Amino acid sequence: MGIGVADGVGGWRDYGVDPSQFSGTLMRTCERLVKEGRFVPSNPVGILTTSYCELLQNKVPLLGSSTACIVVLDRTSHRLHTANLGDSGFLVVRGGEVVHRSDEQQHYFNTPFQLSIAPPEAEGVVLSDSPDAADSTSFDVQLGDIILTATDGLFDNMPDYMILQELKKLKNSNYESIQQTARSIAEQAHELAYDPTYMSPFAQFACDNGLNVRGGKPDDITVLLSIVAEYTD
Amino acid sequence: MSPVFPMLTVLSMFYYICLRRRARTATRGEMMNSRRAIESNNRALPINVEIVQYAKEVLDFSSHYGSENSMSYTMWNLAGIQNVYPSSGDFTQTAVFRTYGTWWDQCPSARLPFKRTPPNFYSQDYVELAFEDPVYPTAVHILETYHPGAVVRVLACSANPYSQNPPAEVRWEVLWSEAPTKVNGPQARQFTPCIKQINFPTNLIRLEVNSSLLDYYTELDAVVLHGVKERPVLSLKTTMIDMNDIDEDEDEEKDGGGMESLNKQFSVAALKEWPTNGYFDKLPYELIQLILSHLTVPDLCRLAQTCKLLYQHCCDPLQYIHLSLQPYWARINDTSLEYLQSRCTLVQWLNLSWTGNRGAISVSGFSRFMKICGSELVRLELACGHFLNETCLEVIAETCVNLQELNLSSCDKLPPQAFNHIAKVGSLKRLILYRTKVEQTALLSILNFCSELQHLSLGSCVMIEDYDLIASMMGAKCKKLRTLDLWRCKNITENGIAELASGCQLLEELDLGWCPTLQSSTGCFTNIARKLPNLQKLFLTANRSVCDTDIEELAANCTHLRQLDILVNTDHQMWSVIWDLLHYCCLQSILSCIVSHCPLEKQAKHFIQQQAVALQKTSKGCQN
Repeated sequence: MGIGVADGVGGWRDYGVDPSQFSGTLMRTCERLVKEGRFVPSNPVGILTTSYCELLQNKVPLLGSSTACIVVLDRTSHRLHTANLGDSGFLVVRGGEVVHRSDEQQHYFNTPFQLSIAPPEAEGVVLSDSPDAADSTSFDVQLGDIILTATDGLFDNMPDYMILQELKKLKNSNYESIQQTARSIAEQAHELAYDPTYMSPFAQFACDNGLNVRGGKPDDITVLLSIVAEYTD
Repeated sequence: MSPVFPMLTVLSMFYYICLRRRARTATRGEMMNSRRAIESNNRALPINVEIVQYAKEVLDFSSHYGSENSMSYTMWNLAGIQNVYPSSGDFTQTAVFRTYGTWWDQCPSARLPFKRTPPNFYSQDYVELAFEDPVYPTAVHILETYHPGAVVRVLACSANPYSQNPPAEVRWEVLWSEAPTKVNGPQARQFTPCIKQINFPTNLIRLEVNSSLLDYYTELDAVVLHGVKERPVLSLKTTMIDMNDIDEDEDEEKDGGGMESLNKQFSVAALKEWPTNGYFDKLPYELIQLILSHLTVPDLCRLAQTCKLLYQHCCDPLQYIHLSLQPYWARINDTSLEYLQSRCTLVQWLNLSWTGNRGAISVSGFSRFMKICGSELVRLELACGHFLNETCLEVIAETCVNLQELNLSSCDKLPPQAFNHIAKVGSLKRLILYRTKVEQTALLSILNFCSELQHLSLGSCVMIEDYDLIASMMGAKCKKLRTLDLWRCKNITENGIAELASGCQLLEELDLGWCPTLQSSTGCFTNIARKLPNLQKLFLTANRSVCDTDIEELAANCTHLRQLDILVNTDHQMWSVIWDLLHYCCLQSILSCIVSHCPLEKQAKHFIQQQAVALQKTSKGCQN
C-alpha cells in the first residue's frame, strides 16, 4: 500500500495555469498505478517515474510543477520504501521520537527539486528535475510506528518537538483519533504560519543564510498521518 | 380437396400469427423484462441468481492508441470497473483504438479491400475480455465515454481462458451483430445490445468495432457482463426471433461449419448425375466463373453441392485468386485449410488476419498450406496471428517467392528472431510490423535487402533501440519508400529525419505521431517540408514544439498536403498560419485537412471548413 503527497508550485498561477492540476493528477496517477499493481513495492521512485511518464501521455498538455513524496509499505517484509523529490517529506515516529525522516532537496533557497511540464516555449527556462533525482530510502517498521507525510507548509512552520507533542496526544489507532490529530497538527501549523513574531523553522533557516526574517510562512499545508497496525481484512 | 384442408391451413396460420405476435412482444420488451424474467425464475428456481461481473483481464486486441506499457488510452483500461463513466470526454483512463473515421482509407498507404467480403462483416478492430466466472449471459453493458457507437459485434466463447486443461472444443457464438450506425453526439452512454441466448456458459467476451462513421476516437470505459450460473429455461418469452439472424450464421451452424461438411460429402457420396445442366451448358466457362466471382466463399461452397458442373466451377482455383478468410475467423482451422488447399494453388491475395488463435490453426497446418499454396502469393495478411512462430515465417520466406505485401500487425507473440527471415523476401513492397517485437538487427537486414519497399509501418515497435540508425538505413537503401509509419518511435531525432528526408524523396506519407524527441527548434520539420514536396499526409500528433514557421514551410512547399495532424494551441497566430496553409495548398484536397487533438477541435474544423469554402468561392483554382 502507498501514501503520497505532492505540492504544486504556486508560481504557475501568474501564467494562467492552475497549480493544483499537476500535483493532483500526479498523485491520482500514482494511485491508479498502485491500485492496478503496476509497481514494485521496493521501488517507489519507479512509481514516480512511471506516473510522470503517464502525465506526458495526455493529449492536452498538463502544465505545472510539483514536489512529490511517496511512501510504500511492504506488508510481507515489514519494510517501508520511500521516494522523495523536493521539500515535501515524511517522518517516522517511534516511541515519541523521530527515527526516520526525509531530506529536503533544494536547488537554492525556496526552490525545491520539482517535476514539471512546461509550455514548449518555456522549456529549458523552467526548472524541471527528473524523477530519477528523487531520494530513496528503505527501512524496517514496527507495529505502532507513526508515519507522517506532509508538504513543506508543515515543516516550515512547525519544528519537530511541536509535531511530536501533538502526536503524543494520539491515544489509539482508530480512524477518528488519527483524523483528529492530523487536523490539529495542520491547524496549528496554519495558525503559526500567520504569526508575524514567531520564529518558525523557515525563518530560522533564512536567518542562518543571512536573511533577517521572522514569522511563519503562509503556505498550503497538507498532512497525512498513518499508523502501522495489524492487517485486518 | 376436402373442406378440412383449408380449415387446417387457416387454423395453422392463425396459430402461427399468434405465436409470432407473442414472440415480437417478447423481442421488444425483452431487454426490460429480462430482469423480471430472471426474477420470476428466481421464485421458481432460487439457485439461478444473476451475477454481475466486470472484465477481469484484457486478453487480446487488434490495436490501441496508447503506448505499450502505458495506462493511457490503452486497451487494458477496459478491464475492471469504470474510471470515467458517466462523464463524457477525452480521458486517458479509457480504452481507445488506433484509428477512427475514414482518414486511414483515404491516405497513400490505404489498401485495396478484398472482394467478396460478406455484407454483414463490418469489423475493423477487436478486443477480447476475460471474466472471472463463466455464466449464461443475460445482458452485456458497454460503457462508452466518448463518441459512442463503434461496437458492431459481440461474441462469446465456450472456452474458459483460466481453465488448466486445454478446451475440447472452442466455439464462438455471435451474441449480437449490427451494421455501423451513426450516433448523434459524443456524449457518454451505456450501450446494451439485445443479445441472444446461448447454450453454453462463457467468461470470454469479444467486442468487434467499426469506427468509420465516427467524428473522433471512440473511448470505452468498461464492459459489464450479466449472467446466470445455471442454464436458464428456454421459454417462448425469452427466445428472440430476429429476422437478421436468419442468414448465413444460422445456416452455417446447421451445415456444421460450411466448408468441412461439404467436403466430407464430396469425398464419399456420388453426386447425382443429371443428363444436362440446362442453360448452364450453353454458358461459356468464363461467364459462369464471372457469375460465381460475386459469391462469398461460404455460398461458393454451398453452390458446389448442387451439381457436378457447378462443383467443378466452385473448386476451380481461378475462384480463389483473392481469398479473405478474416470474416470467418471463428471457424477457420487446420481442417478448413486442408480442404481449401487444393483450390488455392493459384491464390495471390490471402487474408488470414484474426484467424487461427486458441489452437485453431497449428504451425504444421499453416506450413503445409503455405507450401502448397504459397508460391503465387503476392499479398498475405496475418494481422493478430498469434499462432505464428518462427517456423511459419521461415516457411513464408521460402515458399512465397513473389510476395509483395506482408501484414504482421499486432503479432506481438512472434519472437524477435522470427523477423530475421523477412529479409529473404526481396520482392517486398509493403511491410506492416505495427506492435511487433522486431529488433534492430532484423530490421536493418530487412531494409538492406528489401530495396523495393514502398510502404513500411513500424508503429509502436518498442524493441528498436536506435531509430536514427533505422532512418539512416532507410535513407540509404529504401529509395522507393512512399509511406512510412513511425508512430510512437520514441527516440528518433532530427538527425534521423535529415537522412530520411534526403534519401526517401518519394515520401507521400509520414506519421511521426508521439515522437517527443523531435523538436521544432532543430529545424527538422522545416527540413521535412522542404525535402519532401510530395507529402500528402503528415502526422505530428502531440508534438508540442510545432510552430508557425513549420506550418508556413509546409504551406509553401507541400502543395499536395491533404491530411495534417498537429497540436494546435489556442494561440491566435496559429490560426492565421493555417489560413496560409489553406491558401497555398491545393484547395480541393486541403478540405480534408484535419487538426486533431485540439482542445478547440470542433471550432478548428469549423473554422477551416468555413475558410476553405470562402477560398473556393473567390479563388481561380490552382495547379495540382
